[in-house]
Amino acid sequence: MAPTTSKRVRNTTIRRHFIIGNESHLLPYAGYANPAPDNHTKGWKVYVRPLPNGPDLTTWLKKVQFKLHHTYTDASRTIEAPGPYEVSETGYGEFGVEIRLYFASESGEKAVYREHYLVLAPYGSEEQKAKMERENLVVAERMETVEFNEPTMEFFKTLTSEDQYNWLKVKKGRGKGKKPDFVFEGEVEPTAQLPDKADAGQGGMGAGGAWSQVYERQVLAQLGQSAASLDQALDEEKRGMESRRKKMEELGVAVSAK
Amino acid sequence: MATGADIRAALGSDFATNALPSLPRTASTQVSQAATKNSSQPRRHKRSLLRRGGKAVHWSRDSTGVSSRRDQLRLIRWRRARDDEEPFARFAKYDVHAELPQYDAEIYEAHLTHPEWTKDETDGLMEAYGDNYGKWPVITDRYDTGRPRSMEDLKARFYGVSATVLSLNTPISSMTGPQYTLYDTLRNFDPAKEASRKKLAEGHLQRRQTEVDEETVLLGELQRIMLNQANLDSEREDLRRRLDHPLANTNGYQYNTSQALTQLWQQLLQTDRMKKNQRLRATGNQTFDGLPGTTPTSARPRDSIAGISDSGAASGRRPTRDSLPSATTPGSTLPVDMSKADLARFGVVVAQDKISSGITFASDRLSKPRIAKSTLQTDKIAAILTHAGVPDLIALPTPAVIEQFDAIMSKVHALLDMRKLAEKEEQELRVRSAEAA
Repeated sequence: MAPTTSKRVRNTTIRRHFIIGNESHLLPYAGYANPAPDNHTKGWKVYVRPLPNGPDLTTWLKKVQFKLHHTYTDASRTIEAPGPYEVSETGYGEFGVEIRLYFASESGEKAVYREHYLVLAPYGSEEQKAKMERENLVVAERMETVEFNEPTMEFFKTLTSEDQYNWLKVKKGRGKGKKPDFVFEGEVEPTAQLPDKADAGQGGMGAGGAWSQVYERQVLAQLGQSAASLDQALDEEKRGMESRRKKMEELGVAVSAK
Repeated sequence: MATGADIRAALGSDFATNALPSLPRTASTQVSQAATKNSSQPRRHKRSLLRRGGKAVHWSRDSTGVSSRRDQLRLIRWRRARDDEEPFARFAKYDVHAELPQYDAEIYEAHLTHPEWTKDETDGLMEAYGDNYGKWPVITDRYDTGRPRSMEDLKARFYGVSATVLSLNTPISSMTGPQYTLYDTLRNFDPAKEASRKKLAEGHLQRRQTEVDEETVLLGELQRIMLNQANLDSEREDLRRRLDHPLANTNGYQYNTSQALTQLWQQLLQTDRMKKNQRLRATGNQTFDGLPGTTPTSARPRDSIAGISDSGAASGRRPTRDSLPSATTPGSTLPVDMSKADLARFGVVVAQDKISSGITFASDRLSKPRIAKSTLQTDKIAAILTHAGVPDLIALPTPAVIEQFDAIMSKVHALLDMRKLAEKEEQELRVRSAEAA
């Protein structure tokens, strides 16, 4: 019998970025039921995906359960490894999809819930909205980072093996070799971190840009601006406090003089 | 009050014969009497209880002496003619005399001498006692010698004499129980104690109401304490037992030698290293940080996984603190030794500070701080964030972004606090300006 708690690797965390999101199209659209059921104006797909150049999700994610709105038949859709973890449906309303992530058994962890709000209508700035309408593609994605704190030994091994990148690589057979060589053909070097520059063609373009460090810098810049405006507000408050204090002193003098 | 029956009894039973026969005479109600006497006729006037139907008797009046008295007192009284018995014979039984210890001069000389009492005084005391029927207040009042003596002193002398005489008459060993108790009581009479006791009793009698109340309260307190005494005692015992109980089961003397001490120190270091939260901080000094018992593992080629798993398990137990001079290479705790680039490729992060176990999501750190305990607070925070231009959903939860966001949140909190303070100060200002105006 295997021990219930296996040894854990201390002081280590393994991070994995992945994408939770949905696409939506105005029907009719390829890939969706045609003719669409009554009142269903949109076709959508909710998914859990790895980063375009990242390691395989199925290493640690064995099963995903999408809980749709109760009005749907079979509201609970389960997708098992390998893949792809997505659910396509037609509909007309936006709702929150509860996504349950089941981890690999080596990890010894319980399943967790994440929520994703299904966006069907175009959003964002005018320009973005126009673009979405033009392409008939609305994408709402966000990047999630799962952190495995102090993983078990086995889990650690699976998460650090090179096999995770096999899905990106192209098999190139060796003459008589037992193990085929996996060679990566592509522009972006596979890594678990964000790529420096996103491959333009891959992945959906959400409200942000593609997932890359470029995007990260953009976000950071924006947050920096917000921080600056907050600093301004703080300064204002401080000045207000000063003026109030002076007034208090004056009033104090006036009261005592009375 | 003497009822008719009593008087009749005292005067003699011959009246009874003249009474109406077979009628129970109770001195209760006249109604019953009237009913029994003449039930047929209605009553017109009260009948005297004493009214009797009988012959008149002759009474004579002259003076006679009282036989039970020693003096020559002659009393004039009415007596019924036929009485020839001694007057007041029936009262003779009430003529009780006090019991006096009997002694003569010889006995006195032998046993009863007292430094403060002469024989005459003692004799006088005995006589006074007898005359006054043993009532001490009266005796004290009437018995007077030259020396001022309190009632207690007189009593003491009298009891002393009585006790001695008693013991002389019946030797102690052959005294019966009550006799002995009497003897004992007499002997143990302490005039001082008695005096103080009587004074105390009198003091009690003269107490004021406030004192009485105070005393009741204090007594109540005392009672409560007494009741809980048992409890308190047991609790104290418990505490004491607890303090004394942990007996050292190791003898401290085994760590006398320096070798044993270093051994002990090593042990403690080891156990501390095993723990998750190490309490002992590493210092820069090598001599203090433990003897280097660890050898740094060298990076091995990753093909030999089988070999690694053994040493990996062993090296995994080695200390990981980098500040220790015996610090091993960064990959020592990991089962697979990886270069830095590999670590980055696989997203392995070796954290320096404590991390919670289990799975966490980075995007939580971007959303949870926005939620405060009350909805009002949450709304305020949301308002500030939108005003500052922070979007509701930050799609990219990388560590750098998280850090930035944390900084922003702390600024938001500071702003909220300042605004709250500002409100309070405004209020105060308004009050003061109203005062000054």
